[in-house]
Amino acid sequence: MDIQMPVKIGIMSFAHMHAYSYARCLKELPEVEFVGVADEDATRAEMVASDYGVKAFANYEDMLASDVQAVIVCSENANHRRHAVMAAQNEKHVLCEKPLSVTKHDAEAMIEVCKRSNVKLQTAFPCRFHSAFRRLRERVASGNIGRILGISATNQGVCPWGWFVDKKLAGGGAVLDHTVHVADLMRVLLGSEPLRIYAEIGNRMFGQDFDDTGLICIEFANGTYATIDCSWSRPKSSPFWGNVGLKVTGASGTAKMDMFAQKIEVISDTSERLTHEYWGDDADLMMIRSFVKCIANDVRPEVTGEDGAKALEVAIAAYESARLGKPVELPIPSHL
Amino acid sequence: MQRVAIAGAGATGLAHAELLASIDAAELVAICDIGVVAAEECANRYGARAFSRAKEMIEEAEFDVLDICTPTSTHIELIKAAAAARKNVIVEAPMARTSVEAQEAIRLCSEAKITLFPVQSRRWSPEYKKLHDLVASGAVGEPVIARLSHETTHPSGWDDWYADYRRSGGVVLGQLIHDFDWLRWCFGKARKVNARGLYDRGIHFVDHALVTLRFDNGVIAHVEGSWAKPCNSECSVEVAGNSGLLSFDSSSSAPLRFELRTVENSGCSEIVSESLLATSPLSGALEHIIGCLEEGRVPDVRPEDGYEAVRIGEAALRSITTGQPVVLT
Repeated sequence: MDIQMPVKIGIMSFAHMHAYSYARCLKELPEVEFVGVADEDATRAEMVASDYGVKAFANYEDMLASDVQAVIVCSENANHRRHAVMAAQNEKHVLCEKPLSVTKHDAEAMIEVCKRSNVKLQTAFPCRFHSAFRRLRERVASGNIGRILGISATNQGVCPWGWFVDKKLAGGGAVLDHTVHVADLMRVLLGSEPLRIYAEIGNRMFGQDFDDTGLICIEFANGTYATIDCSWSRPKSSPFWGNVGLKVTGASGTAKMDMFAQKIEVISDTSERLTHEYWGDDADLMMIRSFVKCIANDVRPEVTGEDGAKALEVAIAAYESARLGKPVELPIPSHL
Repeated sequence: MQRVAIAGAGATGLAHAELLASIDAAELVAICDIGVVAAEECANRYGARAFSRAKEMIEEAEFDVLDICTPTSTHIELIKAAAAARKNVIVEAPMARTSVEAQEAIRLCSEAKITLFPVQSRRWSPEYKKLHDLVASGAVGEPVIARLSHETTHPSGWDDWYADYRRSGGVVLGQLIHDFDWLRWCFGKARKVNARGLYDRGIHFVDHALVTLRFDNGVIAHVEGSWAKPCNSECSVEVAGNSGLLSFDSSSSAPLRFELRTVENSGCSEIVSESLLATSPLSGALEHIIGCLEEGRVPDVRPEDGYEAVRIGEAALRSITTGQPVVLT
């Protein structure tokens, strides 16, 4: 593949709010030319395009017919497959927002099409690139805390509402939204795959037809057990959106990661609120830099489509476990 | 005046002895331990009699209350002996090693018409009481999901009995019993327990468990217990409801911290942080039961509370062993 820098990138859909952060990153990175955006919502496309000083394509087809080399897919979860496949068939590399898709079958199809089209497929798991996790991973690998016995994790947040609570578009609620990040971190940290999933899932936070509360228990092939609290349990008046935390118990030590601990407390009489302003590493920026690098060097993405599919499988198995009231073995059937 | 005889002169028994000495309505009259030296030292300090065998103490000493501070697996035999001798019983948590034993203890004490008081001291921990009261007052609206953790270094005791997890029940029974009690206090009846941990892995001097509970009222709770920390002890509680969130973390609640330069290694300093309280949760629990016995009042913590906590702990251990969730009927 003949790759010239900067790599030309476009964004497909701004349905997911992370798209705004990615757009900012694309503007910031010298190795990237942020070409433009396309969105089913034309007004949104125009607004974003003017904000970032890029082109608003009339539709996805136009953008994919242009000379963009790669796209970031930030549509609603249920549309990821369609958009990623469109991009791949037009020979564009794909960075896809998490969760990779809403079914295991969709995820497998995306991986297959990207492979066949010879384009990169990266899952947007920015937590992988955060310095706190990188350091944790290094220290665990060097044997600092001994063999990992158990991990308790949280990815709790404020309910994002909008299409996130619409099952048709989101594919699920809090469990699908918040299980995948930490499930991915755990797989990488342990170098082992999930074997068995048990979950308690609820909707009592809002009492509506989507899951807002979840506790997932994972058993890994190497014997490590773990839990993930993936609940949308932060009140709307919280000072910060949520957290990504890992508490790791090893045979010779423990480690505690609070990925977004680097915050400044702001108390304002004007807003009559307490807020937390994060000042730590910009993991989105590092993730996109890595995506660009894998295109430029024609190497495997640091976080693959397969990684996205594995994390997704944990969330889907969790729903299945809650439905059955008992643990579910992996791999789960593709139709789920 | 309540005349108290303590079974067990280990760290727990000695703590009880010291606190009882400060309660006007209580008098320590006897203490027993198979390590009779420890019993004698304690007895001398408080003007009590020392015994090497509990049986002897129960037969020979003149007392009203047996305060059981021995390893968990011995609780049932001591409760049986106390019931036979018609002595009221204070028993450290967990009140028994198994729910069957706990049930038997309740039956025997009820038949003997004696008081059985399990020391579920969390109820007298000001932070846990405040958290409970806030939940009960609707501070978070309807509670939905709770997270508790209690992580410490591995406890040490006579004969390393804590490390014999079959005997002690490990961190699940030895430590999380208090968290289970607190959860019941706040959320009522637990319906289903799923747990993973190191209980049956044969790892020496390291125990850890992650327990998920579902309550009848729909609340989901996650409890982490650890005897795997190399140093320091930490606990935290979080309760999220449909209109708010409560969180407490002991590591950010220490009102006093020191940094000490060690003489041997001048380049290094050591941080000591403390959680300060004028009275300990244990002293609150002991004062309460002594007061109840003096005035003939019914204690706030019933034997059934001790039993239910053991039942949850036992279900968690079964879940760890079988890998399956356990439904509490």
